[in-house]
Amino acid sequence: MELSWSTFVLEIINFLVLVWILKRFLYKPVLEVIARRRADIDSTLADAKNAQEEADALKVKYEGRLAEWDNERKQARESLDQEIEQERARKQASLKTDLEKQKEKAQVSEAHRQAESQRKAEETALALGARFASRVLEQAAGADTESRLIDLVIEELTSLSDERIAGLRNNWATVPDAIIVTTAFPIDDNQKHKLEQVLATVTNMDLPIEFKQDQTLVAGISITFGAWVLGASIRDELKGFAELAND
Amino acid sequence: MESTSIAIAPVFQLGPIGITNTVITTWAIMAIIWLFAWLVTRRLKIEPGPLQTAVEGIVTATENAVAEVAPKEAPRIMVFIGSFWVFLVIANLSGLIPGVHAPTRDLSATAALAFIVFLSTHWFGVRLQGWKSYLHHYLTPSPILLPFHIISEITRTVALAVRLFGNIMSLEMAALLILLVAGFLAPVPILMLHIVEALVQAYIFGMLALIYVAGGVQSQQLRESQKE
Repeated sequence: MELSWSTFVLEIINFLVLVWILKRFLYKPVLEVIARRRADIDSTLADAKNAQEEADALKVKYEGRLAEWDNERKQARESLDQEIEQERARKQASLKTDLEKQKEKAQVSEAHRQAESQRKAEETALALGARFASRVLEQAAGADTESRLIDLVIEELTSLSDERIAGLRNNWATVPDAIIVTTAFPIDDNQKHKLEQVLATVTNMDLPIEFKQDQTLVAGISITFGAWVLGASIRDELKGFAELAND
Repeated sequence: MESTSIAIAPVFQLGPIGITNTVITTWAIMAIIWLFAWLVTRRLKIEPGPLQTAVEGIVTATENAVAEVAPKEAPRIMVFIGSFWVFLVIANLSGLIPGVHAPTRDLSATAALAFIVFLSTHWFGVRLQGWKSYLHHYLTPSPILLPFHIISEITRTVALAVRLFGNIMSLEMAALLILLVAGFLAPVPILMLHIVEALVQAYIFGMLALIYVAGGVQSQQLRESQKE
């Protein structure tokens, strides 16, 4: 247990050298790598914090955007509902109008159909009446009937007013060579004479009169003055009756 | 069996200086530490392997232990205190190797370490506070206590040296005596106790050194906090 001064001094030197060795080869590099790692960790944490903050900001942003989208969607839905309601009301009104038009059209069509049906019924009735009257008149008509019709014509021509006669004369564009008088039966001289006088009075011309017979007239008389024809025969009356049924 | 005796005789002479077994063992420990440190730290990576993780754990634990006692001055004194722990753990455990004596069984070595602690306490104190401010704390709270401060400095340094020397030397002596008396395997429990004691003594020496140094550098801060 003695103290060796040389050992004492050498141990002091040795320990100081050891401190330098440990500092140079152990503590310094290890502390540096730990500091580097801490810096990396701090950097990573800072990056993570920044990323977290950005993520939070983005989250808030997108939540706000989602809320906006939700509001916009609701507004669009409400607007669409309103448009649909308006369109539905418009369609209903249009459909109602169309239905009313169709109804009116159907009513008009029905009325027209009824009128047409009535007209056809009337035509049929008139045709039947005409056929019936034609058969009756064909069998019943004779020279007497014709004589009365001729008298009727003479009476009509005689009773024409001056204005009527002037109107007839104005319508005669060309003057024919003769006046043609057609009857179904032979006409007596007395009636011929009356006709010549009446026609001369009406035409105010001295034209020859040709008397012809046409049994298709059934009974009656037809006076032809160029384009002007005056008929008072059973055939013409039946024809007129049939045409009346067609009008 | 001169190597097993308490007396430490020079192994060879280097001029007027006698090189003892203690110095040679210390050199060997220094060489081993240097080689280990060089091998471990030549390829340090950000993502460490198992060995690097262990070394970083030791360094970090040392740093935290120093920071708990002297938070502000930890970066300055951590290397110094950590060197004590590293050296003393290896030096104390080296006595377990057959034919090798722990350097700390030599009072000259422990006295040298204690003297370094004594000088470093004042070195760090003066360096961080200045001569006047540092020496002033010997006069507080009263100049009458100056002799007691001086006696305290001397006695605690002597106690530091003798405590480590006595424990390690006695462990080696106990193992040697049991081996001589009981046989080959009988000292094994004592050797296990040697391991625990070596670690405890290294921790105690380093922690006391840390407390002394921290007390030196923090005396000025303590006075300032008391004034406030």
